[in-house]
Amino acid sequence: MKIRNFIQVKTVEAFHEAVKAANGSIAILAGGTDVLVNGREDDVYKDCTVIDIFPIEELHGVRETENMLLIGACTTHEAISHDPLVKQYAPILAEASGAVGSLQTRNRATIGGNLANASPAADTMSALAVLHAELVIERDGEARVEPMTAIFTKPYKTNLAPNDLITTIRVPKLSPNVRYDYIKVGRRKVLSISRMTVATLLEMDDEGVVTRFDMTVGATFPRPMLFPDISAMLVGKRPTEQDILDVAKALSDKIPEIAGIRKSTVYKQPVCRNISERSLRKLCADILK
Amino acid sequence: MANIKLSFILNRKPYTVETDPGKRMLDVLREDLGLMGTKEGCGVGECGACTVILNGKAVTSCLVLAGQMQDAEILTIEGMSDDEIGRVIQDCFIESGAVQCGFCTPGFIMSAYALLMENPTPTRDEIRLAVAGNICRCTGYIPITDAIEKASKILAK
Ligand SMILES: Cc1cc2nc3c(=O)[nH]c(=O)nc-3n(C[C@H](O)[C@H](O)[C@H](O)COP(=O)(O)OP(=O)(O)OC[C@H]3O[C@@H](n4cnc5c(N)ncnc54)[C@H](O)[C@@H]3O)c2cc1C
Ligand code: FES
Ligand code: FES
Repeated sequence: MKIRNFIQVKTVEAFHEAVKAANGSIAILAGGTDVLVNGREDDVYKDCTVIDIFPIEELHGVRETENMLLIGACTTHEAISHDPLVKQYAPILAEASGAVGSLQTRNRATIGGNLANASPAADTMSALAVLHAELVIERDGEARVEPMTAIFTKPYKTNLAPNDLITTIRVPKLSPNVRYDYIKVGRRKVLSISRMTVATLLEMDDEGVVTRFDMTVGATFPRPMLFPDISAMLVGKRPTEQDILDVAKALSDKIPEIAGIRKSTVYKQPVCRNISERSLRKLCADILK
Repeated sequence: MANIKLSFILNRKPYTVETDPGKRMLDVLREDLGLMGTKEGCGVGECGACTVILNGKAVTSCLVLAGQMQDAEILTIEGMSDDEIGRVIQDCFIESGAVQCGFCTPGFIMSAYALLMENPTPTRDEIRLAVAGNICRCTGYIPITDAIEKASKILAK
């Protein structure tokens, strides 16, 4: 692809310096699996200094604090899907990352790139939404924290400035008794850009009364969304079959409400309702008996 | 943009090339280095024909920028014959009827190589998952899975 300049950086500090030195447009390059596909058509990057952040060691891998997982923005989906900390404290994300593309894609594609690219079909978004993930974003050495869902404005658009670098995805650790389910409905088993994902977290006390419930649909709305009204439908209750039918209906009714009536609504609304029912029944199997 | 100097290890030998860092790795291999074994099918990461091993991982070279080859360790199909695992995989592909037109073969062999380096005794399901990003229009996937399974058994001896 046509570019103006290319620079590789090995530290976050070097990234900020490269931005200052660039005088002109910059484009961040991580795994490149979206950038190189975009760069095939038109000359989108021809005036850009491409800054390759993939070699920044400190942006790879997963660390933990007492309550949080800190996932480096350049951690690949393959690394996330096998990471022991992610599998223990945010297993729904391990599943979502494992569902991305093929092995070759997962070996390069990063979680930061998945978010910054802002495709509504990005597989990790629904999982990160129910996990209440936050992003650490650095601009010129200053860091700020935003809810993951807050950076998206519309499909393929974020409110990130060109010199904003996502450095870390912060994920509150789940307690071991949170049940989860992640479903991806695609065209083929691998390589399918999602048509829909459904991500659910459900926590119940010893009596089967719901103490936490987060459920959302991905690849369906213009940006990742969480619904407090949906959560409120189960919290404080011992779920029954009727509750499950009601939640699945309410969630699928969000599709025409938010995304508007489109050709795909005809397909997506019933699919969403069916897989939501299936997912909730699975998560509540012991309670429904 | 103007050419820059890229240094990397390719098939266990050091290389330095002067090239446009905005090219794709696939083009550096084929055009700058004349290594035609790595194929271009789709050019968008979907067929796996351009699979190479970059720092130990199978990746599609059509989606890696040339500049990203700097300091990397790369293996391509051309490096398979001076390596025991590579030789055994190639033999097994031929013996199992896993090659017809051959266009997809280098990509499959690189995926198989990356798999066996990491997991010398894969199950058939693990084999299928490892090559799920490679497309073959000729043989069907059974002979290819057979070939990789056979190679793993021979190498395990
Ligand atoms: C064959 C194929 C199959 C795919 N299948 C799937 C799939 O199943 N599910 C799915 O969700 N996606 C899929 N994708 C899309 C893509 O692989 C993912 O979106 C991937 O996570 C992007 O990460 P990357 O590191 O490659 O991003 P890049 O291409 O390097 O960057 C993408 C965008 O993010 C910006 N960016 C990258 N990192 C940062 C950062 N740290 N801070 C700020 N901005 C940043 C870049 O400037 C660019 O605009 C597929 C792609 C291909 C080619
Ligand atoms: S040519 Fe690279 S994946 Fe098809
Ligand atoms: S042998 Fe022809 S595409 Fe696989």
